[in-house]
Amino acid sequence: MKLSTRYNRVNILTSIIILIITGVIYYLFIHLILTNKLDKDLAVEENEIKQYTRTYQKLPLPASYLDQQVSYAESQKNANDVREFSYTTYFNPKENEEEPGRSLVTTVNLNGKNILVTITKSRVESEDLVRVILLITLAITGILLSTLFLINRFVLSRLWQPFYTTLKRMKTFEVTKMEAIKEEPTKIDEFIELNQSVNAMAERVKGDYRDLKSFTDNASHEMMTPLAVINSKLDSLLQTETFTEQQGALLEDIYQATGRLSRLHQSLLLLAKIENNLIADKQDIDFKELVESKTRQFQELFERNGLTVEAKLMDKTLTMSRYLADILLNNLFSNAVRHNVQGGKIIIELSKSAFVVSNTGKNFDSKERLFNRFSKSSESEGMGLGLAITKQVCNLYGYEISYNQINQLHIFSVFFDTKQ
Amino acid sequence: MKILVIEDEQALYESILAYFTDEGNVCEHAADFETATEKIELYTYDCILLDLGLPGGEGLELLSRLKKMNKKDGVLIISARHSLDDRLSGLDLGADDYLVKPFHLSELKARVSAIVRRKNFDGDNVIKFNEIKVDVAAMKITANDTPVNLTKKEFDLLVYFLSNKNKVVTKNAMAEHLWGDEIDLSDDFDFIYTHVKNLKKKLAEAGTSDYVKSVYGIGYKFTSL
Repeated sequence: MKLSTRYNRVNILTSIIILIITGVIYYLFIHLILTNKLDKDLAVEENEIKQYTRTYQKLPLPASYLDQQVSYAESQKNANDVREFSYTTYFNPKENEEEPGRSLVTTVNLNGKNILVTITKSRVESEDLVRVILLITLAITGILLSTLFLINRFVLSRLWQPFYTTLKRMKTFEVTKMEAIKEEPTKIDEFIELNQSVNAMAERVKGDYRDLKSFTDNASHEMMTPLAVINSKLDSLLQTETFTEQQGALLEDIYQATGRLSRLHQSLLLLAKIENNLIADKQDIDFKELVESKTRQFQELFERNGLTVEAKLMDKTLTMSRYLADILLNNLFSNAVRHNVQGGKIIIELSKSAFVVSNTGKNFDSKERLFNRFSKSSESEGMGLGLAITKQVCNLYGYEISYNQINQLHIFSVFFDTKQ
Repeated sequence: MKILVIEDEQALYESILAYFTDEGNVCEHAADFETATEKIELYTYDCILLDLGLPGGEGLELLSRLKKMNKKDGVLIISARHSLDDRLSGLDLGADDYLVKPFHLSELKARVSAIVRRKNFDGDNVIKFNEIKVDVAAMKITANDTPVNLTKKEFDLLVYFLSNKNKVVTKNAMAEHLWGDEIDLSDDFDFIYTHVKNLKKKLAEAGTSDYVKSVYGIGYKFTSL
């Protein structure tokens, strides 16, 4: 749920509840006050009637009062202390209709007789007043609520704009890209602070990344020299004396290990270089021709494993580094040979939109880790970096590489122009 | 031939000097920028092995000075930097070749020999070894004046052997030379065995002695001894 929605909901809900409660209280109070006023008027009338009766020893005429009715009745029993207010109806002779009214029933002593006097006043004016007040209150409530809603809706979303901009910039932030996160101008303290924190964090991350990168670079270069020394000393050692068969086997193992180490090392350096986009010799490459020459280069490997190669190649020009194109093909071809079966098949297809290498081979079950570094099947003799490098090369140029297995065929597809 | 090794890592230049110093080769060495500049200015070499990271200055600077002096010395850059930029700027500045550390001494020797051959014989690029004559430029081989038909790989292999005669050459080094280090052969050297076998057979058919000796399963040695 969005912050503004949540805020809106709470805000409007509490406003409604508070307004309803105050509305009810308001209504009740006004009602009470108006009734009190009516009752006072009625009491004044009562007083007047009583004084008139006492002075003139007769009852005043009922018709002589405006907007109120007075009626007399002889009290049946001795109800000297009858005096009560009640809600009744009032017949308005002018309008000829029933209206809500307020009555006071009281007794007047006339010549020793108890007369029951009922004074009724119309409540219609006070009711109208209450209704008007209620309507005004409701209207104000409505206006207030809709204003609140609109404020939340438009002002809030505009107020939060810097936040969303910052968020977007954070989402697109890439540690390898060296440009700084631009400041979004804002006057809100919280957002200024957020921006500053984000920028500080980005700087820190970039700094850490630079440190790590220069450490890796330096470490690799420092590692190269001892490796070169080991290699050259081994070569020199070989020239010295005659060795026994056993010593020869030991030397061979050392050679294999140093060979692996330097290849591993070069692969890691290459990966780092591709990631940092340090390979710049972008040029137009006749990919079809490159695939054909690579196929010739691998011919010997294909033949030795008894692999039949089918190639369906269309003309395709790619703009990329020739060096990386070479590596891409090497890795895909090596992979197709290495994980093949004796007498298997390799199908190479190049179209305008994709380059596909399919090969027969055994089943395996680490598909989701296929392009990860150092992920390899147990019987593989490689280092597990080939496909990782291939994927990096694809990433660099916006190609998409995918793996599928259909009917014992392992299919690696590189799709060009996925950006468009 | 006369060679200058400009390299600051002692263990490394010692090995290189030991490997190159025989058969009348003269090898000198410089471990820093100053010494190297001095030697380059004073003498002429058939080939200069140049390390890019030197104490006291950049190796590439040395190369451009050499070219300003209009010297014809061959230059082979040996660098730990597997960087395309360095390679390109090195070759642009007039280096003849670029080899990335770590390398096999036999590969280094083969490349230096190739540079020296190109420099010295200007087109007449021929290696002679007893009854074998290899015209590198024309890719033609004769043994006792009979032409020998070799495949491209067998030819490369023979030239490689001849550049490293009397040295043990490992199968790793041969594999990297023939296929490049980009193709990962997963330490499978059956190929080498097949190619060497074919080469030996073809040379034997042409009536040469058996110069290619297998050495404790690690590699081969091309020797008349």
